[in-house]
Amino acid sequence: MKISELKTIGIWIILMLIFITQLLFYTWCRVQCVQVGYEISKETDKHRKLITLQNNLKIEFARLKSPKRISKIAKYQLGLTTPTQKQMVIIHEIR
Amino acid sequence: MKSVEKKRRKLRICIVGLFFVFFFSVIGIKAIYLQAFCPWLNDRALEEREKSLIFRGKRGTIYDANGREMAVTSADVESITAHPRHIKDPRATAQALSRALQIDAKTLNVKLESGKSFIWVKRQVGPRKSRTVKDLRLKGVGFISEHSRFYPSGTLAAQVLGFTGVDDRGLEGIEFYYDNWLKGSDHKLTVLKDGFDRKFDTEENTDMSYSGKNLILTIDKTIQFITESALEEAVTDFSAKSGMAVVMEPDSGAVLALAHAPVFNPNSFGKFDRDLWRNKAVTDPFEPGSTMKIFSAAGAIEFGGCTPDTIFFCENGAYQIGEDVVHDSQPYGWMSLGKIIKYSSNIGSVKVSEMIGPQLLYKTLRDFGFGEKTRIDCPGETAGTLSFYRRWSKIDAGTISFGQGISVSAIQLITATSAIANGGMLMKPYIVQAITNSNGQPVESFGPRKIRRVVSAETAEAVRQMMKSVVEKGGTGEKAALKGYSACGKTGTAQKIDGKGQYAKGKYVASFIGFAPAEKPRVVILAVLDEPQKNHYGGTVATPVFRKIAYETLNYMNVPPRHEKKKLTASVAGDQLPMIVATVNGSLSMDHGE
Repeated sequence: MKISELKTIGIWIILMLIFITQLLFYTWCRVQCVQVGYEISKETDKHRKLITLQNNLKIEFARLKSPKRISKIAKYQLGLTTPTQKQMVIIHEIR
Repeated sequence: MKSVEKKRRKLRICIVGLFFVFFFSVIGIKAIYLQAFCPWLNDRALEEREKSLIFRGKRGTIYDANGREMAVTSADVESITAHPRHIKDPRATAQALSRALQIDAKTLNVKLESGKSFIWVKRQVGPRKSRTVKDLRLKGVGFISEHSRFYPSGTLAAQVLGFTGVDDRGLEGIEFYYDNWLKGSDHKLTVLKDGFDRKFDTEENTDMSYSGKNLILTIDKTIQFITESALEEAVTDFSAKSGMAVVMEPDSGAVLALAHAPVFNPNSFGKFDRDLWRNKAVTDPFEPGSTMKIFSAAGAIEFGGCTPDTIFFCENGAYQIGEDVVHDSQPYGWMSLGKIIKYSSNIGSVKVSEMIGPQLLYKTLRDFGFGEKTRIDCPGETAGTLSFYRRWSKIDAGTISFGQGISVSAIQLITATSAIANGGMLMKPYIVQAITNSNGQPVESFGPRKIRRVVSAETAEAVRQMMKSVVEKGGTGEKAALKGYSACGKTGTAQKIDGKGQYAKGKYVASFIGFAPAEKPRVVILAVLDEPQKNHYGGTVATPVFRKIAYETLNYMNVPPRHEKKKLTASVAGDQLPMIVATVNGSLSMDHGE
């Protein structure tokens, strides 16, 4: 085989390698892109679920803070009452 | 030989080459044709890959004056849908769904056989039922995530807040009145799905920007609870049909509490009688009775040249006007205007109205806001009835002065009384103080708004002094007296009118309107009890409600009671130090503050 023919084959091989590498790189990028898309969707779902949980906890907290419930606990469990006039001492500050 | 073989080989290569060129050309032409001349294929591919979903933004939250949640939107309640065109066996699907959701199979079957592209099977089902339906894996049955409204304090301020329907639209109360602000806007979200129906590369969900606005009310949850508890207790004690109580800040017109009894739970409003849904303090007029005497007296002082010491002859208990006779509960002779208010003399009030004349009485009452809407931000407000003075008969002028032949709403009555409490300025009542966006930044705010000066500060002060005497010993409202605080008030007892327009026997509306402390009123309180059975006098039935609300509210607002003991004085470093109220004798006070 002549050197010029070997040269031509070599150039072709290099070109084919570049082409195949580019093809593989492009495919890898696309696969990664789709994969990241899945991960984003997964994380978005997770985020949404956590927000829902946070929201539900806020609602539960608001329900627990209900004056009716607190009053019941204060009155019957802790035995607290509204102070009468005699039970109050007013302290005025000196300016 | 060699050249022949070489030629044949070249020919074969040529044929194979042409074969490939031909077929690749056909494929290429077809590919170009599909790409360039068949746009519907592109649409079909997108249809399979992309899914557009319509989302509604979250409804805004309703907060009380201290930023405590009164109505919130909880996310992700599932609604079950169906696409009848994709259901092969509607009957079997209907039966399976009816078993899982406890709904009528026949009705559902009719819907599924309708051939429509979309139907709702059941809106907002619980997580357990949703899971059961999912497990059935029915073809053509889908699930949509929706928001649902929740009222964390249950029945508290139910009539004020109102409620929303399944479509997240306000149906009653504040929810209805401010629906355009509260509701979230619809937005389209494109979701990409793969062959396994998995989502990927979803658009950024900016739910916050589509959320509705939040409302901050003037209502204080704690004062609302105090008011509701006191009202409920009185309604039970006196076996009343219903009751309402309103607490207002006189200087601003802000409504601090607006209570009704009986109550309903807006979380399950469908289980309660529709009649309970209404905010009756705003929508329902009633004859106020003797509470109106304070406005007649104000007119007499402002326009008639009267003073609290001006005397009137009270006809010893019976006074004939044309064919009608006006009675007092006890016979009175000569009485000062102050005493007429203290002992609630009807005849005295008639004499006062005769002195100022119908025109000035009408002007006074109109100036106080009777016969016109207060324009409070609640739906369905009544203007009450106050006919034009030229249409009054002789007896009308007399009876209107003591609260008969006129009808008012609770909000009108408390707004007018607030004008006396604040020195004569009629304020516009309001229940929403601000609207904020989803980040909590204010979008709009509503402050106190003066409507007009009704009476001079001197007249208001004179009326206040007369109202103070009502709560003192011997007055009709002496049971409203507060330990540690001075108070002003006026009782009212009005007979109700039946369906025929006649006064019904044994049916009364008992009321008390008052404010405290007398020197610098912080709260105006109105208590109204409808058809109390055990006693019908406002001085007996409604005064305990006022007393309880006033005492606990002033305590909660850190308004110190008058103290006979020596005051302790504390010196603490710092420029600004709030007054400290401590409790002794081993008992603790509840700190209601945030």
